[in-house]
Amino acid sequence: MKDIRLWGLKKSPWVFHVAAASCNNCDIEILAALTPRFDVERFGIVLVGSPRHADALLVTGVINRKVLPRVLRVYEQTPKPCLVIGIGACSCSTHMFTDSYNVVGPYNRHIPVDVWIPGCPPKPEAIIAGVVKALGKL
Amino acid sequence: MRNEALVNEILGRFQERFAGTEVVIWNPRRLYITVPKEEIVAAARFMFRDIGCRLSICTGTDTRDGFEILYHFSHDQSGVIFSLRTLVPKDNPRIASITPAVPAANWIEREMKELLGIEFEGHPNPVPLLTSDVDWEPGKFPLRRDYDAEADVKPKPWDKP
Repeated sequence: MKDIRLWGLKKSPWVFHVAAASCNNCDIEILAALTPRFDVERFGIVLVGSPRHADALLVTGVINRKVLPRVLRVYEQTPKPCLVIGIGACSCSTHMFTDSYNVVGPYNRHIPVDVWIPGCPPKPEAIIAGVVKALGKL
Repeated sequence: MRNEALVNEILGRFQERFAGTEVVIWNPRRLYITVPKEEIVAAARFMFRDIGCRLSICTGTDTRDGFEILYHFSHDQSGVIFSLRTLVPKDNPRIASITPAVPAANWIEREMKELLGIEFEGHPNPVPLLTSDVDWEPGKFPLRRDYDAEADVKPKPWDKP
């Protein structure tokens, strides 16, 4: 039974994009990965409009004090098993905003992250490689 | 500069309407006009309605003489930016809000109020914009010079205790 659920998830992961206080540079690269040049839609990756339909969460941005309860709520709404993929240097380690008054730390203090993709912003090829690595983890 | 005639005409109209203003020409496309704070609403309305500029952004700085507020109006036909400059005293930072005249100033005045503490009288919706609605103490203004930044930094997991 478990293999059937994971087979659906591995062959066509539906992603939801969570941008928590990011500068939107990584978000632009994620959308560029969906365009015909890099084309992750051939792997079955579809951008969905609700976390309740999602298999994977693409998280970007350094978390703010204001957006933290909302990010936790989105994570709780995602049905498990779900992959959390941290994109960009801000989600791995808060990058240059470490000593700010409004930053509550990198993502893995609050939700469990499976794969980190460093870069500012990471190239779409790096995002594809990271997502494939995360799918190999299941 | 090619739009010198247009800029001089606009400045002429502005200075005949508002007498006590000084103009600093920073470079051919940026002008700083100092306006006393009682006349800022009339000046903003004049730039927006009569000359046809668009409010680009506002800037608030904590300087030695008080809080300096800049309203950047962009004249799109010539590419010139007119910045209206006012000073607000630090012990009583109140100024009239230009939002009833220029609706584009709504969010930027909310942001200046919560980060610098400047009160905008007549603003229709003065709730905080960027700081947390859950756990931010209301008396702190992060962009003032005497704000203690170290006290609000949460320790990171890689810092040794």
